[in-house]
Amino acid sequence: MSIKDNGHEEFVPEIVAFTCIYCGYMAADTAGALRLKYPSNVRLVRLPCTGKADVRYILEAFEKGADGVYIVACPLGNCHHVHGNERALARVKYAKSLLDKIGIGGDRLEMVFVSGGMGATFADAARKMTERVKELGPSPLKK
Amino acid sequence: MAIPHHPTSSVLVVGGGVGGMRAAVDLAEAGLKVYLVESLPWLGGRVAQLGYMFPTHDCVLCRGTSDHGYGCTRPSISPAFLDFNRHPNIEILTNTDLIRVEGRAGDFTVTVRRRPTYVDPEKCINCGLCTAVCPVDMPSFFEEELVTRKAIYKMAPRALPDAYTVDKVPRCEICRRCESICPTGAVNLDEEPCEQNLNVGAIILSMGYALSDPEEYGELGFGRFPNVIHSMQYERLASRSGPTEGIVLRPSDGRVPKRIAWLQCIGSRDQKYPYCSSICCMYATKEAMIAKERIPDVHCQIFIMDERAFNKEFNAYYERAQKEYQIEYTRCRLSAVKEDPQTHDLILRYPDEEGRMREDRFDMVVLSLGSRPPDGARDLARVLGIDLNPYGFCETDKFNPLETSRPGIYVCGTFQSPKEIAETIIDAAGAAGDVMRLLREHLGEHLSSREYPFLWRPDGLVPERDVRGESPRVGVFLCRCTPTLDGVIDVEEVAAWARTQPDVAHVQLVDYGCFEAGQDAIRKAIQEHHLNRVIVGACSHRTHEPLFQKVTRQAGLNPYLMEMVNLREHCAWVHVDDPAGATRKAKEMLRTALARVRLAEPVYKEAVVPEPRALVIGGGVAGMTAALTIADAGYEVVLVEREPELGGNLRYVYYVAEGEDPQRLLRDLVNRLVGHERIRVLTRTEVVSHTGHVGDFRAVLRTTTRTGETVEAEIRHGVTVVATGGQEWRGAVYMYGRDPRVVTSMELEEMIVHRPDRIAELDQVVFIQCVWPEGEVGYCSRICCTNTMKNAIRIKMLNPDCQVIVLYRDIVTYGFREAVYTEARRRGVIFMRYDEEHMPTIRSVGPQLELVAWDPSLRREVPFYPNLVALSMAVLPSEGTERLARILDVPLSQEGFFMEAHLKMRPMDFVAEGIFVCGMAHYPKFIEECIANAQAVAGRALTVLTKDRFYIGGVVAQVDQSKCVGCLTCVRACPFGIPKVRYTDVGVGGIQGAAYIDPALCQGCGTCTAECPAKAIQLLAYKDEQVLAQVL
Repeated sequence: MSIKDNGHEEFVPEIVAFTCIYCGYMAADTAGALRLKYPSNVRLVRLPCTGKADVRYILEAFEKGADGVYIVACPLGNCHHVHGNERALARVKYAKSLLDKIGIGGDRLEMVFVSGGMGATFADAARKMTERVKELGPSPLKK
Repeated sequence: MAIPHHPTSSVLVVGGGVGGMRAAVDLAEAGLKVYLVESLPWLGGRVAQLGYMFPTHDCVLCRGTSDHGYGCTRPSISPAFLDFNRHPNIEILTNTDLIRVEGRAGDFTVTVRRRPTYVDPEKCINCGLCTAVCPVDMPSFFEEELVTRKAIYKMAPRALPDAYTVDKVPRCEICRRCESICPTGAVNLDEEPCEQNLNVGAIILSMGYALSDPEEYGELGFGRFPNVIHSMQYERLASRSGPTEGIVLRPSDGRVPKRIAWLQCIGSRDQKYPYCSSICCMYATKEAMIAKERIPDVHCQIFIMDERAFNKEFNAYYERAQKEYQIEYTRCRLSAVKEDPQTHDLILRYPDEEGRMREDRFDMVVLSLGSRPPDGARDLARVLGIDLNPYGFCETDKFNPLETSRPGIYVCGTFQSPKEIAETIIDAAGAAGDVMRLLREHLGEHLSSREYPFLWRPDGLVPERDVRGESPRVGVFLCRCTPTLDGVIDVEEVAAWARTQPDVAHVQLVDYGCFEAGQDAIRKAIQEHHLNRVIVGACSHRTHEPLFQKVTRQAGLNPYLMEMVNLREHCAWVHVDDPAGATRKAKEMLRTALARVRLAEPVYKEAVVPEPRALVIGGGVAGMTAALTIADAGYEVVLVEREPELGGNLRYVYYVAEGEDPQRLLRDLVNRLVGHERIRVLTRTEVVSHTGHVGDFRAVLRTTTRTGETVEAEIRHGVTVVATGGQEWRGAVYMYGRDPRVVTSMELEEMIVHRPDRIAELDQVVFIQCVWPEGEVGYCSRICCTNTMKNAIRIKMLNPDCQVIVLYRDIVTYGFREAVYTEARRRGVIFMRYDEEHMPTIRSVGPQLELVAWDPSLRREVPFYPNLVALSMAVLPSEGTERLARILDVPLSQEGFFMEAHLKMRPMDFVAEGIFVCGMAHYPKFIEECIANAQAVAGRALTVLTKDRFYIGGVVAQVDQSKCVGCLTCVRACPFGIPKVRYTDVGVGGIQGAAYIDPALCQGCGTCTAECPAKAIQLLAYKDEQVLAQVL
């Protein structure tokens, strides 16, 4: 499962997760309250709504060395700001196509929808994303 | 304690569910002090247990108010309840019972008894160590006994107050492990109950409802067959915060059910409980739809008597359930559920549409439980000295729907009658409005301010230090939160590392940052070390950011110069087995927080002094009631009515099903209104323009004089109430307008009242329900079924031999109105169901009217030759609703009524603050519902008018017009329709037309900033460079 980086140490991907302060942040809190474990390489960046997640933020995260990025939003239809998460989803799709084009790979970008109570799903998303990026290896921008 | 002989400015709210919380927030905002008493250890009530609300399928309790507050505030409706964000005027007393009430309206002395929770919420840090060592398992009340919990427990990971509690059993006395393991000494198993006297001016009862007992219906198998569950259990299983995070499994074998049946009216509309519980049709539909969304190929079948989808957007929802979701509705009340003992499958026998008996197997059966009066209602009624109705719910007067039988005590929500969330919210705000009228002399006595994101009294703060031009001096405070944080993260190492970072002027470890000593230490260090930026590494923003923002402000810094890092929930707690990783991540998190806080800028709000005047549009029962409530509370009102006379539809209502006299109500309202010193009534007047924002609106009113001239006048006002009402449709269908024997329901009422002699001569009358314009969005007009019952009963009273036939789709006599349906049947009114495939037809045959209807039991067409046909025509929005919506710049719903800010949580507000909607302009409703609604908007309006000043803006989007090309992207992107491109503004290169975002309206989501191609919009506190600083 683990990919060794040139046979030296295990590759620990750097992952940035953008969350809204509503369901996304809340789910992370619930995961904490329930002591659900997920890898420590995932770091959250708080936004008032995922509708605030600019394509630029996603691309700059990769530029600055992230191996993977994902966005944690309220469930579709359940956004505190009505459609903010739908806007974000459209941008994620667009950014994925850009990442594919420039050779970084759209698979390194994901969007998940959780409700505030879904601590287990949140932790699971962090684990799955880490696994996926481990398989993909370090971001080509790092080489 | 002696009863003081002066009235008080305090209010007691009994019940901490969604209604009680709504009432408490509104009262507190109007400057009254509130004691919110809840008998359970936590706030939230029934709504906290629900995963989704119909028909929106959202859980957004966070939209209960429009505060730019934190996060999913479940089980709250407003950030004003969060522990560290508590409204200064609200005192929450949980685990507390009411035991004595003395005195009278304006001056009650209430004795309450608090049962011990054995955990001091001030000291509890939610570390959960107590639960981990507790050896006692008990069924979880919150999870409807689907799972167990410990004796020391929290209702849910997030609860309010956010602390554990002990459900003490004898074993606890000897065990006491929780007591010894608690790191802060918060647990005290020897705590005693305590009593307290409260002096209050008024009391609002919002005790909610109890569920029916499914075991009373033994034939349905609940408690005997594992796969028969009740609806609240299903809610918990389907809830994403439930024990399975929303995956519904069969209790007997944990298999995903493929065939689910819902049985309706369990504990409703039967011999013992003759009323309708009003909510079950919709929640069962919701539960079935969610099942369809989650489980592929699931078969959902709902066994109903009538589908009662009688509120805004409910009918469209019901149609979607049938057409898009293929949910099967079967009209049948089952008498028994059988089980296959081998598989635990359930066997239902019922007649199909053709009348043949069928036998079907189901994996799971859900009993849709009805509502009962809340537990202990009888005892409480005795304590309070109030009357209950024959069903055990609170008795109220028809035209004073929120007043109990004892003056000064009000009621809201499901304790008054079964109802859904939106109506509970309306009631709650309405009861608050009633109280504001009673305690008018005290409004605004307890001032609060929303100048800062936390709520705080405006006085007693040191002046804010201007830090512009200073180079960053960052103070880093790391909370140990022993042992939850320092037990995992090496905080000493993190502190040592922080000291090496640029711009860090001070690093300090605090034991418990949230305790008074911790707060003091932070305040002192900020001042001593002359810090101008603060980082607090502790726990969740959601729970504690308001606290540390407050601490920062108390030390003289703008609260936005503080950045929190969640080292607990997002780091230590989720990396318990990886201390090295957690420590590394803590440094990473601090590093990015440092990058962000360096770029932090103060954020200010703008003060607005509200114009103490209300504009009420519409002079029907809703408009008049709203105007009177606001004026009685001490504020000026301008009421405009375009007709020459006041009264609206109420002028044509002569009697109601329950027997009261609406014409007396009309006279009373008009007399009080016309003679009121603070109300100016302008008839023959319309609003032609409306600008400004909450607290400061301007409107131009055009009055047509008797001679036909028009006069225009401008007024300035703080709030606007829309009460423009509805109208009965008068379409040319079923020969209406061509044959005088075909009349509308309102016309029939006129005849019954004015020509009873003619009615007495009739031999046969046919009512046709649900007559609406073809091609228009169909919806239930809500009032017609009950009106038909009242008219049918009157006809039967005038001539018992007259044959009265009602052709209907679904009989919607919800709540206690079911009694008039029963009465109509008792008097021999015949009911025949029709559907789209078998519409009644009408034609004249010689001198006779021939009406042909399909009889579903005979399965053939039956002709009638009635003397009179009464059509229950749809209730439409009143003429000119679209034009007014454009003038006010507010949206309309798909049915054409005004669209509120949120269907469930904010039913009387618009997204545009300061404009409110009530009465039939919102949706068709009964007189008493219009009154409650009008009082609710009056209460909401008073929360604005009573303030000496309030604040707008804060974390909102700002346009740099010098970069704006006026491309309209923001206008299209905004989920709330706030940005406007104004021709008068100048954009890039001097072009005419640039975007403007009103800070009073912006909701602060930042969607526009992310879409703006020119990057001309920035969200304060989340400017691009501030977010990007955090990225890596």
